[in-house]
Amino acid sequence: MIEGGIGWVAAVNLVIWTGLFLYLLRLEAKVRDLEKEP
Amino acid sequence: MALKPLSIAWRWALWVWIALAIVGAFYYAPLAQDFIGQSSRILFFHVPMAWASFVAFLAAGVWSVLYLWKRQPDHDRAAAAAVELGLVFAVLATLTGAMWAKVMWHAWWNWDPRQMSIVIALAFYGAYLVLRGGVEDPEARARLCAVYAVIGLVVAPYLYFVMPRQAEFSLHPQPVVNATAKVEMNSRMLQVLLVSSFGFTVFFFWVHGLRRRLLRLADRRSVAP
Amino acid sequence: MSWLSEAGAVFAKDWRAELRSRHALHTLLLFAVTTLITVSVALGPLGVSSTERLAVLPALLWVILLFAAAAGLPRAFVHEEETHTATALRLAATPSAVFAGKVLYSASLLFAVEALLVPLYVAVMQLPVASAGDLLVALVAGGLGLALASTLLAAIAAQAQGRAALFPILAFPILLPLLLLSIELTRGAVGGPVGDGVVTNLVLYDATMAVAGLMLFPLAWNP
Repeated sequence: MIEGGIGWVAAVNLVIWTGLFLYLLRLEAKVRDLEKEP
Repeated sequence: MALKPLSIAWRWALWVWIALAIVGAFYYAPLAQDFIGQSSRILFFHVPMAWASFVAFLAAGVWSVLYLWKRQPDHDRAAAAAVELGLVFAVLATLTGAMWAKVMWHAWWNWDPRQMSIVIALAFYGAYLVLRGGVEDPEARARLCAVYAVIGLVVAPYLYFVMPRQAEFSLHPQPVVNATAKVEMNSRMLQVLLVSSFGFTVFFFWVHGLRRRLLRLADRRSVAP
Repeated sequence: MSWLSEAGAVFAKDWRAELRSRHALHTLLLFAVTTLITVSVALGPLGVSSTERLAVLPALLWVILLFAAAAGLPRAFVHEEETHTATALRLAATPSAVFAGKVLYSASLLFAVEALLVPLYVAVMQLPVASAGDLLVALVAGGLGLALASTLLAAIAAQAQGRAALFPILAFPILLPLLLLSIELTRGAVGGPVGDGVVTNLVLYDATMAVAGLMLFPLAWNP
């Protein structure tokens, strides 16, 4: 793989990680909501 | 978000930390010798995933010991969540390992001792989940699963650290910490590896906490009056 | 009642019941012998070359023993739970004594099966036994390990819905290291290659399982 090719792999990994991270933040907010109900 | 500033901060810090590990894996760390092309970069994901699965299984064992001692349902839920996540990480480690094996040795599977030991670990903790589904009474379920996970406290270290080292021949590269207790790895590679491993571990505990809370909510609903 | 006599009483009770019906013995022996016949027809002297046989036959012996154990040993607890004699047993004896008694019972069952199966296997498959001592150690240590792990796990499986069907799922990952060691030692006994420290590791495995069983069985056994 050439140098440019590696950049794509790194970028894809970052996108996946960021997507997963944002999903978890959303999930966390939902869980907190559900926990508030008495 | 109704979170304390510190809570918000550490989550975003984790994002930065792992993003750094990713960038570091591709731009900061050098390529390892004796590896085909760029494939050695998988190391920075494959090893931390395997490590995280071990941490998960260890945590499951510890929470199970706590459960058997105090009999608090939350410890049982924590153990179950840890096993679930541990399995996810172990499967990911196996898959990344197989991808690496395909590139290096042109076969997805090689009967390498380390490959075998993680498969046995998958079978063991998969059996935990089967057991969990097979006991109706919640207290009996918690108790029996806890005993099984405590057996895992012996089985997991053996599978992850003893069995792969006992074989005379292995395709896996020499472990970083080997018999002479010296670290034989390029320092930049080691740095990225440690950063990544730490990040994955924190990530595990974060997701684990979420899963544990979800399980608690589910239990709360099912016993609602 | 002292702990030893409790364990002995459990052992004696199980054997007394077993000798009446001979159910477990029949299961174990019939399973082992039919598998042996199948294997010998497929892999007998005409089936596989002699060099390959040395590599394969030790493994097959232990696979037969493993499956026989999985077929015959869980009954030690499943039967108790199904007939509700388990409750009486829980009241009558200390858990660790129950564990020890059941382990001795399962181990003696396995040894009985080994005593019949292995000479048959050696004769039918024409296995050249270079070191009978090694073979004996493998059978005793391996059989004991099987009994130790099986007793603890059968107690767990018997309390689940799947009962005996759950046992192999729970047991096989834990038994795999034991099997690999036993197979290696057996391979050495018939003249094949064997690594260092196999006997030590077998003894370590048995010791670990014994300690784990004594500590964990009471927790699995009592609510």
